[in-house]
Amino acid sequence: MLFSGIPFLFYFLPVVLIAYFLVPQRFKNTVLLVFSLIFYAWGEPVYVFLMVATIGLFYGCGIAIGKSTDITKKKFWLTVSVVTSLALLAVFKYADFLLENINRFTGAEIPLLGLALPIGISFYTFQCLSYTIDVYRGDAQIQKNIVSFGAYVSLFPQLIAGPIVRYVDVARQLENRSHSWENVTLGLRRFLVGLAKKVIVANQLGELTELFRSAQEKSVLFYWIYAIAFALHIYFDFSGYSDMAIGLGRVFGFRFVENFNYPYISKSVSEFWRRWHISLGSWFRDYVYIPLGGNRVSKGRWVFNILVVWMLTGLWHGAAWNFVLWGLLYAVFLLLEKWVPALQKMPTVLRRTYVLLVVVLGFVLFNAADLNQAVSDIGGMFGMSGVPLVTGTTLYYLKSYSIILLAALVGSTPIVRTAAQKLENRPVGAVLEIVMMAAFLLVCTAYLVDGSFNPFLYFRF
Amino acid sequence: MTKKIRALGIGAVVVLWAALAAFAWIKQPDAFSDAERRKLAQFPELSTKELLSGEFVSDFEEYTLDQFPGRDLFRRLKAMVHYNVLQQQDNNGIYIENGYAAKLEYPLDTEALNYAIGRLNNVYKTYLEQSGSKVYVSVVPDKGYYLTQENGYPAMDYEKMFSAVKQGLPFATYVDITHTLGYGNYYFTDTHWRQEELFLTAKTISQALGATPPNPSEFTKTALSRPFYGVYYGQAALDLEPETIYIMESDLLKECKVYGYDPSKPTSVYDMNKLTGKDLYEVFLSGAQSLLRIENPNAKTDKELIVFRDSFGSSLVPLIVQDYKTVTLVDIRYMDSRMLGQFVEFKGQDVLMLYSTLVLNSGKTLK
Repeated sequence: MLFSGIPFLFYFLPVVLIAYFLVPQRFKNTVLLVFSLIFYAWGEPVYVFLMVATIGLFYGCGIAIGKSTDITKKKFWLTVSVVTSLALLAVFKYADFLLENINRFTGAEIPLLGLALPIGISFYTFQCLSYTIDVYRGDAQIQKNIVSFGAYVSLFPQLIAGPIVRYVDVARQLENRSHSWENVTLGLRRFLVGLAKKVIVANQLGELTELFRSAQEKSVLFYWIYAIAFALHIYFDFSGYSDMAIGLGRVFGFRFVENFNYPYISKSVSEFWRRWHISLGSWFRDYVYIPLGGNRVSKGRWVFNILVVWMLTGLWHGAAWNFVLWGLLYAVFLLLEKWVPALQKMPTVLRRTYVLLVVVLGFVLFNAADLNQAVSDIGGMFGMSGVPLVTGTTLYYLKSYSIILLAALVGSTPIVRTAAQKLENRPVGAVLEIVMMAAFLLVCTAYLVDGSFNPFLYFRF
Repeated sequence: MTKKIRALGIGAVVVLWAALAAFAWIKQPDAFSDAERRKLAQFPELSTKELLSGEFVSDFEEYTLDQFPGRDLFRRLKAMVHYNVLQQQDNNGIYIENGYAAKLEYPLDTEALNYAIGRLNNVYKTYLEQSGSKVYVSVVPDKGYYLTQENGYPAMDYEKMFSAVKQGLPFATYVDITHTLGYGNYYFTDTHWRQEELFLTAKTISQALGATPPNPSEFTKTALSRPFYGVYYGQAALDLEPETIYIMESDLLKECKVYGYDPSKPTSVYDMNKLTGKDLYEVFLSGAQSLLRIENPNAKTDKELIVFRDSFGSSLVPLIVQDYKTVTLVDIRYMDSRMLGQFVEFKGQDVLMLYSTLVLNSGKTLK
């Protein structure tokens, strides 16, 4: 089920809210678990059993790790949980990629599994892993209540596209969280902002990228419009989803970690990754990079660690070579930034331009169907595809999408937030906020009712 | 004060949200959308099989969109935001230019075009090659042909399409009618052309066929009694004005009889039973019909004409019928052309293949 869908907004969510706020405190997690499973089963009627099994397995492993005093047994149960989760990812997400490459390089004809990817598997397995690892490390207490644990793993606000919520961050809230009208209103406000980012901005930009793909008359300008539109599209799509998730979490009394912090104003690639998909970056830092030794190792080993982490980050996004290269591209620039201090001494405008160029080109690689298309798209941006600089079709689409592109560019900076903060404590600010919320609700509903283009990019991860 | 305003205001938004949700739950489903001219999705069948296959979910989502309370109002709101706030040039591919609503026909679908040409070649080889018929082909430009040229909208490569039709149907004489039309010859809110504006086009085609061109003075322009809301009226979802359909009546046409499925029940060239229907354009030769025969007792010759056509032919054919004793209209979108021999005898009649750019560019619709 999509947050940005009529069934969720007007059928599912109202029922969940009524049920949740009607039941006593001790049953609230049960309500969340039941509705989260329904939410998941709506799109994955078969794989919901996989999720239930995953909950059971990690619950058991957590108990076994936490209750055991023998380090060997602790290690054994941790290994079981890690291997199982990686096996799940390997089978459902990476097996066909591996088999395709074996077939390609050896000439073998091993049939592909052709399994559909369970929605959100990369998110919830990472959440489960954080739990057992943290229990093993002694950073988290075991969760004895399977309903509470099940609610943590399957919590529908962030189930299928994050943020990746670590168990330690919500352990206390699972047991004891407060509910208030303020939480509800702030949560719904955040949700509506995310919905508007998704439905009004991201979907239009996504449509533009689709129009680029189907256009017969491409031009150098159109390639650039496409690249910029996609970079903005993925930001508004994903950060919009995160806003909705964080907002819904707040309605139910949870405080989820922030996932985005205006990444496109970054002055370095390393800063970009501190602002983009923060929960994933910190997960890889804490559960892969630091256990590998981080930067407190020899230079060669450190380079190896960086390459491994970024290759895995790329692979996490998808089982294809363009994702691997996309991850490694960032590894290269992160290393460059460490080794070439001059990059950090450039004027701010040049540093931001450099980051935006890397990010935009990176997303062209990211969004390509394959490496050939990536080469063709990047070549097209630099006039190497034999297309004219500009065509009438390009100008039409530029004109048609200029307002949305401009709004997206402004919205990807803190300008709007700063203005909103200045008005926040004034009556005019409150009135403006309410008008905006009502407008977002009605306009988003109007766009959804019209059945417009409405995919979610991060569902495939 | 600010806190109070905010709490009250957000409360109002929550109430609005809840009210929409409540309406969505309790509203009785509608069967048909007049604005969109289509049946609306109904609550899907609920079974284990449908649930596990995911069909129930996709059907239910469709149902919630179709049956959402105030659907037409929301569609209008979306269109207004799209055009006026976001300044987008089109909404779901529909654009408004010089008061005319039109659909972006872009890009050229060469696969669909080649398929259509293939089907027409097949008709020729099966029925016409040995019959001694003279075959003519003409492509009806959609109004985008004229609107896009002047206003910079993306458009299919029309010249490539015309050229492909000419080259792909070498047995036929190509009749160019693009110079006889302009966007003013079309309805404001519909795909089709206005019959009262087609005399030059009818003259061009008649002359190519070697028939007498229609004489406008022999026709009377009569307005239909109901306002006409074209297909783009609903799709654009904007506050467009309804317009008037005029039919060109003549003594000769009044004498003509039109035979469809039931030979015992002939109808007229202008089927006034369709005045109560959803689409007034169906007044012309009763709308979508796979096979029709017009008998013209006052024909000036014994010649016969077969027209392979789409809906554009319905309003044009009455203007070129005068010389022909019989005109057979075949729409192979609605019947398999392999069955045609069972219903039509091919014996050297004049043959006109008249298809719009919309049909040639829209998938494999010809059978």
